[in-house]
Amino acid sequence: MLYDLPRSDARVRWLVTLLLATLGVAYVFGAWMVGIYAGFTPRSVAATYVEPAGMNMPMPADRTMVVEHDVTPADMAREEQHQVDRALLIQDTHVHVPMYGVIAAVLSVVVLGIAIPRWMGFALITLLFAAPWLDFMGMWLTKLVSPHFAVVTLAGGWAMGLGYTIVAALAFWQMWRPERGVRP
Amino acid sequence: MKALLLGAAAAALLHITPTVTLVERSEVVSRLLPGADRFTAREVHLSSTDERRMHDAAGWTPPDDVITFYLGKRANQVEGVLIFMRVDSPHGPLEVAVGFDTAGAIRGVEVTKATVETKPWVVEALRAGLTDHYRETPPVAAPSVKGKVGTMSEYMAELVDRGVAHAGAAYRLFYR
Repeated sequence: MLYDLPRSDARVRWLVTLLLATLGVAYVFGAWMVGIYAGFTPRSVAATYVEPAGMNMPMPADRTMVVEHDVTPADMAREEQHQVDRALLIQDTHVHVPMYGVIAAVLSVVVLGIAIPRWMGFALITLLFAAPWLDFMGMWLTKLVSPHFAVVTLAGGWAMGLGYTIVAALAFWQMWRPERGVRP
Repeated sequence: MKALLLGAAAAALLHITPTVTLVERSEVVSRLLPGADRFTAREVHLSSTDERRMHDAAGWTPPDDVITFYLGKRANQVEGVLIFMRVDSPHGPLEVAVGFDTAGAIRGVEVTKATVETKPWVVEALRAGLTDHYRETPPVAAPSVKGKVGTMSEYMAELVDRGVAHAGAAYRLFYR
């Protein structure tokens, strides 16, 4: 490890603890939000990110088409499947990817301070950065190539949660485990 | 570390917060299409030519090139038309419902959705009477709350105004 987080000053360990706790809360609410807007199944994720049917509908280039059908007030009130169109996905990617990069970097700094084998450090850091890449790659591939790529987004989301859980568990354990008559 | 913290703060500030419903659509339907007992959705799929017309008229094109008009009918007579218009901003989308009467005048405007972040600004603008002035024919172009509310609420008023303008153009060009 590059520095010794478990034996660092109690203030540093407290800072890392609060940081990880805060990120944990953010992840829990992030998962909740995903549950509301996109769901956790490949089908619901694909429905969120796939290119809307209208865009693929063969339309006569020079003629506007009108379709009418009866609806009830309940139909009008029904929440449509939340869809992320291309413009919104561009904005989401622009906003989220830097933030995910910062979070992955912060967690990687924690990884550098905990006592784990070198290969595991590489693997964890790779996982932390790969997760958001998979997440957004899945969204774009779902939109541009095939709805089947929704599983890549799901894999990215779960990888993000897994990476955080491993780092937080190792850090909490190593920072605060009771040691024979020495701490804090 | 400072750069990291600033980056995290900037990212948090840019994050779009979840959508909140200000008024249920069902409530809006009863307010803006009063008396209607039958409803029809008219979906207008724009050709590339009409998409350009729309863009030239309002500086806007509908998502997926589809505009949906909800017609409220009584005894097979159209009593009014309703459009739900989404307006995007860096702070998240607003949804504005614009109702037209049979003469094509605006019957009413309601902001149905905002985000957790924008809701207080929208509510402040609404309390200052933002949507009241649309019930005139023709509607006043500039937001009527300018100078009466904070900067962000004025900005929300501009977005609502934009939504109403888009709905008005869509109605003029593709409904009438």
